[in-house]
Amino acid sequence: MSNNGKMTLEIFRYHPETDAEPRYQSYEVPYNEDWVVLDAINWIKDHMDGSVTYRWSCRMGVCGSCGMMVNGEPKLTCAAFLKDYYPGAVRVDPLVNFPVERDLLISMDGFMEKLEAVKPYIIRDDVNDTSEGEYRQSPAELARYKQFSMCINCMLCYSACPVVGHEEEFLGPAALALGHRYNKDSRDQGQSERMEVMLSNEAMWGCTFVGECSVVCPKHVDPAGAIQQAKAAGAQEYFKSFVMPRSS
Amino acid sequence: MSHATTHQHDVVIIGGGGAGLRAAIAIAEENPSFSVACVSKVYPMRSHTVTAEGGAAAVIKPNDSLEDHIYDTISGADWLADQDAVEYFVNRAPSEMIQLEHWGCPWSRMADGSVAVRPFGGMKIERTWFAADKTGFHMLHSLFQTTLKYGNIVRYDEHFASKLLLDDEGRCRGCAAIELRTGTVRAILGKSVIICTGGAGKAFPFTTNGAIKTGDGMAMAYHAGVALKDMEFIQYHPTGLPGTGILITEASRGEGGILVNKDGYRYLQDYDLGEALDVSDPRHPQKRAMELGPRDKLSQCFIKEKNAGRTIKTKDGDAVHLDLRHLGAAKIDKRIPFVRELARSYAGIDPVHQPIPVRPVVHYVMGGIDVDSNSATNIPGLYAAGECACVSINGANRLGSNSLTELLVFGAQAGTHAARFAMDKPDYDVSGLEAQAADEGERIRRTWFRTRTRSGSERIAVLRNELHDAMEDGAGIYRDADSLDAACEKIAELRDRYRKVVLDDHTNSFNTELTAALELSSLLDVAEAMAHSARERTESRGSHQRLDHPDRNDDDFLAHTLAFRADGGGAPRIEYRPVTITKWPPGERTYGADSGLKRPADEPGEAGEPGEPGEPS
Amino acid sequence: MSGQYHRPHRWAWWTERPGYMRFMIRELTSVFMAGYLVVFVLTLAKVGAGEALAGATPGTIEDVLFGSPHPFAEWIAEMRSPGWMAAHAVALAAAVWHAVTFFGAVPQAMPIFLGEKRLPAPVAMIVMGYGPWLTVTAVILWWVLR
Repeated sequence: MSNNGKMTLEIFRYHPETDAEPRYQSYEVPYNEDWVVLDAINWIKDHMDGSVTYRWSCRMGVCGSCGMMVNGEPKLTCAAFLKDYYPGAVRVDPLVNFPVERDLLISMDGFMEKLEAVKPYIIRDDVNDTSEGEYRQSPAELARYKQFSMCINCMLCYSACPVVGHEEEFLGPAALALGHRYNKDSRDQGQSERMEVMLSNEAMWGCTFVGECSVVCPKHVDPAGAIQQAKAAGAQEYFKSFVMPRSS
Repeated sequence: MSHATTHQHDVVIIGGGGAGLRAAIAIAEENPSFSVACVSKVYPMRSHTVTAEGGAAAVIKPNDSLEDHIYDTISGADWLADQDAVEYFVNRAPSEMIQLEHWGCPWSRMADGSVAVRPFGGMKIERTWFAADKTGFHMLHSLFQTTLKYGNIVRYDEHFASKLLLDDEGRCRGCAAIELRTGTVRAILGKSVIICTGGAGKAFPFTTNGAIKTGDGMAMAYHAGVALKDMEFIQYHPTGLPGTGILITEASRGEGGILVNKDGYRYLQDYDLGEALDVSDPRHPQKRAMELGPRDKLSQCFIKEKNAGRTIKTKDGDAVHLDLRHLGAAKIDKRIPFVRELARSYAGIDPVHQPIPVRPVVHYVMGGIDVDSNSATNIPGLYAAGECACVSINGANRLGSNSLTELLVFGAQAGTHAARFAMDKPDYDVSGLEAQAADEGERIRRTWFRTRTRSGSERIAVLRNELHDAMEDGAGIYRDADSLDAACEKIAELRDRYRKVVLDDHTNSFNTELTAALELSSLLDVAEAMAHSARERTESRGSHQRLDHPDRNDDDFLAHTLAFRADGGGAPRIEYRPVTITKWPPGERTYGADSGLKRPADEPGEAGEPGEPGEPS
Repeated sequence: MSGQYHRPHRWAWWTERPGYMRFMIRELTSVFMAGYLVVFVLTLAKVGAGEALAGATPGTIEDVLFGSPHPFAEWIAEMRSPGWMAAHAVALAAAVWHAVTFFGAVPQAMPIFLGEKRLPAPVAMIVMGYGPWLTVTAVILWWVLR
């Protein structure tokens, strides 16, 4: 029941020290049309139940901490407005496809390993000294990878990806898009090194192009597009290896 | 809280934001055999550096000069900056920025492929590098991703450092930190320590700062006996969204946005900030004038307009309008797309068609942990860098786009010096430090896992809200003796009541209510230093404006305030240290027509616009 | 130790989002297309057989495939039955739908840049998908109908 300036939040609760199974707990919060779901959860923590556990920080959609399932949809809770759900109830779950640590807080261990796996940094044979000035990069060259550099690591795409749900080892949308971002950077020379990881079975060939990662991405990174582009580049690399067998 | 476990490294860095990560890379690269611990209460990419928008200043273009950047910084600081430190900072800035470019930061570019720069407040020429209007985000992620290259950087993500550990010689050798997943208190030891924990904007109600900016590192150093320096200097950013305090970057004014009051009048011209050139005038936006004046002055003008009844009433209080409509959709989408996104989401306004209501919001703490120009504190082996530190290059008012550069320059420098210390003084007694960490764990358990039997228990949020009100009312943009007395008194009362806080949650795993309690303790420490430092400084300078002492007083206060924590808490001991003046004697701070800084390069058609920096929308 | 809670596997995951359902339909179209290809290969075989193999030795594969004296004509007659017509209509719909979704994905998978501007998706779809498709179709039609 949500009326008279009140709204109901059903929150997924699980405590590793006391619970074998999760449950939902309902809280009635004041309804404020400017509030986002995160504000309502903060209100619960501040005034009703200090034990509700979740992550948050910037409240402006850029730190990537506060991703949760809001009525089954992966969302940044700082960008999900109560007014879009009112007067209905809002059910908040931890992001799916991740193990739950406690309440709305999921384990990021696997995600961090996957990010690291794609070697997300500039790899070069010849490193210039800073005294030689910046590497030149035209606006057109910047445009080739800029979109893929906008990922805030909020992991909503992992919750939207059925492959992630089925294969724990799958590198997943954000990590693959990040690898592609560096491959497309005109300053980088590490594509072949990175491709060794990205061409493995658990990497981009695991993607079946469902495409929902790009639908839920709050920053329009389009990881699905990045992965298909990487596949094309990978196929090229593969065929090149027949034409020009490892000589260098 | 279970017993302590011990982890040994060469250098321990507390904080995984821009400064901490830059320090980690400096150490890892210069000392490949070193093991560097990076302890952070959040995953590094969540650190607040991520929200910085407008850009980072460094002299790179031929029409600019190091001398000009130094002068802008010193005059912007109202002469409270240490000039040797500013010189070091400005000289190091270009190579640090190029280094970050080499590490992959996607800077916006000119047609010729060189980095683009934009004008910023208080800077006499455009020298602010930018990555559209997500500069901090790109810098942080570039730094974080680069750290993944180094096998000798060991991250302790989601570890809440609560205490510095000092050896028998009084040298800092690590910290006690709660591993949030298990609640275990770990002794994370090193031969030297760097604090990079950011600012403390969360002492105030309206702030651009994220939830994590609670001054923990400042408080830790304060407890260990380091002074907090110049804490009375709090920067209000003139353009935040009312209600939420979300930042609308200064770059929106750098690109030509204007501020108007309820009559549509560009009120800044009434406050010695120059002439209101028409927005179609090719000289608009004029550097060091009007909307590109420094933040302290612009925020003060807002209050004067409000007092004159010329601000706009909104449901979230008074505001003025930031008008970007004349820039057009194409420019807004190319240069400041995040502004449009934020205004649409959080204010329900499309800046292409409507002006954005804005008000000053707490943004940055100029003061911080007292360090010298080598980033060293008075405790051997303890260093600090970034917003948590006060070198000071920011003095009484930081210029926009100097802080992102600061975290690179001084992050790297702190790393280098901490590594050197670790090499020179490698030996310490592990067991003594372990015992301290175990005591800390025991202290936390005893204090916070007690049952709700005592009468008159307090809630964290209630105390935090009262602290916010006390700071806003007492130590806001304008202060006086009465308001500051009231703030000091209120903080003392809150300290008392803090002892009665009882937690709902007495479990170990991810006890975020416990961390909120520890954060509130940090905020009380920091707020106490702020309010007392402000009360003792009986002059007005930069962001510290005393209604009862409206003039700058160089005879008595060309000096840094040092607040030392009193044993057992209570009012801090206040001391002063003279500002280092090298070549720029204190002068009058002028902006607008009087700034006397016209130069050919300011004119369009010269170096000002050699092709639009390309930025895909 | 791991006190982490792993939520149960969701076997009906594809019912959870319209996007998942669209994905499953797209994948299913390939079944119809594979079926059609089998029929098409058989048709080609009948064409190749013509009348020449009429009266093949009983028990051989030719007998099974082309046991009748007029295999192609009979095959075609069989194909004209309502059941087969319907099957072909379904296969055609599946192929068209697959093509549409394929062309829809082209701009994502193969972006075209003109300087720093990316070709808008609808234009890219026409340039790389519908344009060539319609051209080839027109050429084939012209060749068949001329």
